[in-house]
Amino acid sequence: MFKKLIEESTAKSPWLFHINSGSCNGCDIELVAILTPRYDVERLGFKLAGSPRQADIVVVTGPITKQSLPRVLRSISQVPEPRCIVTMGSCPQSGNVFKGSYSVAGPLSKYVHVDVDIAGCAPKPEAIIDGLALATQILKEKRGQM
Amino acid sequence: MTSILLNALQYLGYILIFPGFLFCFVCGMLLCGIDRKLVARMQKRVGPPILQPFYDFFKLCGKETIIPDAASRTTFLAAPLVGLAALVVIQLFVPIHGFSAFYGMADVIVILYLLLIPALASILGAAASGSPYAGIGLSREMVTIISCELPLVLILLAIAKTVGNALGTGLCFSLSAIADYQLVHGSLITKARMIPAAIAMLLVIPGETGNHPFDAAEAETEICEGMLAEYSGGPLAVFKLSHAVKMLTLTSLFVALFLGGVGTGITAVDGVVVFILCVIVTAVSISFVHAVTARLKIEQIFKYYWTVVSGLALVSLVLAWYGL
Repeated sequence: MFKKLIEESTAKSPWLFHINSGSCNGCDIELVAILTPRYDVERLGFKLAGSPRQADIVVVTGPITKQSLPRVLRSISQVPEPRCIVTMGSCPQSGNVFKGSYSVAGPLSKYVHVDVDIAGCAPKPEAIIDGLALATQILKEKRGQM
Repeated sequence: MTSILLNALQYLGYILIFPGFLFCFVCGMLLCGIDRKLVARMQKRVGPPILQPFYDFFKLCGKETIIPDAASRTTFLAAPLVGLAALVVIQLFVPIHGFSAFYGMADVIVILYLLLIPALASILGAAASGSPYAGIGLSREMVTIISCELPLVLILLAIAKTVGNALGTGLCFSLSAIADYQLVHGSLITKARMIPAAIAMLLVIPGETGNHPFDAAEAETEICEGMLAEYSGGPLAVFKLSHAVKMLTLTSLFVALFLGGVGTGITAVDGVVVFILCVIVTAVSISFVHAVTARLKIEQIFKYYWTVVSGLALVSLVLAWYGL
C-alpha cells in the first residue's frame, strides 16, 4: 500500500529543474510562461526546483554547446533516481538553425537517454504541458520498477 | 503499578498522536497546502490541490537519497530529525484552549529556546553538506534568526508584563497562566495596548518560518535553495515537513498568546477551533504577505525587523509597563 502511495504521489508532484545549454532564451521564457496564471501548471503539482538534487524532471533547452556539455551532463547526473529527461524546443533534438556550427556538440540524445522530446521553436505552452504530463507518467513507471 | 503504566501510555499518546507527532504531521501539512492554495487564488491561479504537501512528502520519501562526498554523514542525516523533534516538543507545550499535554511544565522562555533549535539544526545540516551555496544560505539564516529574535523577546515581555500586572506577580512567563488569564479576562488581542505587539508577532511569523518576503536564506532562484542545496530524498522530506510544522507551531503559539479564551472546554472541539484560527492567522500573516511582496535582501530584513517590528513591540511593552 505504501509503495502504491509513493507511486501515486510521484505522478502528482513532479519538480522541474531547468538547464539552459546555450539557448536563445525563447524556450526559457516559454517554460516560465506555463507557471503564470493563464496556464498554471502548479495545479498539477509542478514546481521549479532550485537545485538538481531536488528535481524529478530535467528540462534541457538550447543546442548543447561544447562549453555547456560537461556542465549539462554533470547536472543531470546529480538528479536522484527516478528521474526523467525532457528536451524542450528543436535545438537539443536536432541542433535547429545551429546545426553544423563548430561550437555545437548536440544533439543531447548522443550522450544521455532522453525520455520526452518537445518539438517547436519555441514550443507552444500547451505542447510543453502535454510533454511534461507524458514525462510524469514515465516517472511513475520508473518509480514502479524501482 | 497499573496507574504508572496508564500514565506512561497517556503521555506516549500525547507525544505520538495528539498534540504530538501525528497531529503536527496532518495539521502542518494541511496548513501548508491551504497556504499554497490561498497564495495561488490571490495571484488569480487555480493552485495546487490542498493535499499537495502530502504528495510532495511521499514522493520525496520514494526518491534516492544522495549524500555528497564532502558531507559529514551523521550530522547531514541527523540534523533534519533534530529540528523536527524540537518543533513537536513545542507543540506539546503550547496550550490548546485550557488543555496542554504537559501542563505547567514550560514557560515562554523554554519555547523561545526550542524555537531556535530547528533553525540551528538546518544550519548544522547545511554546514555539514559542504556546499558553498549552503554556506551562503546558512550565513543568511543566522542573520534572519538574529533579526527575528529581538522583536519576539519584546513581544513576549509585553505579554508577560500585562498578565503579570493582572496577577500581581510582576512578570509572568508561564504559558498556562497566560492561557488561564485569557479564559477569565478575554483574549489579549482585545486589549488596545496589545494590538501593536500582535501586529509585530504577525510579522515575525513569516520571518521565523522562512516564508516570503523573508526567505533570503532559501532563495531558490539565486543560491539554489541555499541551505537545502545538497539535500534530496528522505532528509529533504523531513525538512519540508519541519517547515510545515513550524508554520503550525508559530501560528498556534500566536493563537495561544493573543487569541486565547476562544473555545468550548471540550479538547477535541477546541483542537478544531484552534486549527481554524491557525488557518486564519496563516492567511493573514503568511499567504497575504507572500502574495503581495517580493523577496527582501538580507540587510533589508535585518533593518526592517530591528526598526519597524521591534518598534511596534516596544510600543506595547512601554504601554504594558505603565499599565495604560
